[in-house]
Amino acid sequence: MTNCPECEATVLHHDKIPGEVFPCTDCGTELEVLKTDPFAVQPAPKEAEDWGE
Amino acid sequence: MSEGFSLGVFTTIVRPEEKAILAAAEARGIAVQRIDDGETTFGLDRPPGLPDVVLNRSVSHTRSLYATRFYAHYGVPTVNTAEVTELAGDKILTSLRLRARGIPTPRTVVALSPEAAIRAIEEIGYPAVLKPAVGSWGRLMAKVDNLEAAEQILEHKAALTSPVHSVIYVQEYVRKPDRDLRVFVVGDEVVAAMYRRSSDWRTNAARGATTEAAEVSPELRDLSLRAATAVGGGVLAVDLMEAPSGLVVHEVNPTPEFKALSAATGADIAGRIVDYAVAVGRR
Repeated sequence: MTNCPECEATVLHHDKIPGEVFPCTDCGTELEVLKTDPFAVQPAPKEAEDWGE
Repeated sequence: MSEGFSLGVFTTIVRPEEKAILAAAEARGIAVQRIDDGETTFGLDRPPGLPDVVLNRSVSHTRSLYATRFYAHYGVPTVNTAEVTELAGDKILTSLRLRARGIPTPRTVVALSPEAAIRAIEEIGYPAVLKPAVGSWGRLMAKVDNLEAAEQILEHKAALTSPVHSVIYVQEYVRKPDRDLRVFVVGDEVVAAMYRRSSDWRTNAARGATTEAAEVSPELRDLSLRAATAVGGGVLAVDLMEAPSGLVVHEVNPTPEFKALSAATGADIAGRIVDYAVAVGRR
């Protein structure tokens, strides 16, 4: 486990993989998995103008 | 069975869709090379160790455009191809192609400057819908009900420095039920379809629309496959509206999301995408 860089809540590894984006369950900040061993997260990249489907 | 073969998965971020794709590849015993679109570099000569096919799942239209061009240059097929990415990633180019192929699509007028946009909006009539030519999830879209609202929106657009915002894509507001249709096409097959329902005029799942499986009528299947083929075919989500005149295609998405569609229909869309990409890589 690690901590949310925004609110410091505990973030659990579960079955997450590098690059995976998920919301912090406490503050809702979108986080991105940086690495899994040791588990580390960072704020997810911000949505850019040309992002979409 | 898949010895020596590898599938490249080109991503910006890993969402449930990409995770499902990676899991589907693993379940099939297919080696995967994950390629981060923000980390990789591209030289003019083919580097060693490339995968046999690259499945583009980047959320960035710009990165997708260049990456698929580079892979084509290296002789590595991509899903979707660079041509499909370019066409379907740009609403203006998509509209042109749909019209050229006789596929029903909403009335559309494009202005190349905010100054000309009022004329484009007046040509369409009120209410009109303004969309960015590139990008999705309903972002920066506006429904304009009158001249005053149009002038305010265009004033905002003129204040944005990016030349992209100077190009104004104006479409008629289609008086449809409180839902639209999303049809997922893989190759020459319709894999799944759903209704997206919302009290908001935008029915994007990303904006919280509710979803339910839709029956694929012969007309819906035919029109969806024609729209997908029109932009070059591959893995595509065709968005349609039920206009008073019948079904109209308003978007064809080249790197579609499918979490909501899989949940609504139970279809193994990730598996179908992987199978298709592998087949393209083995051609």
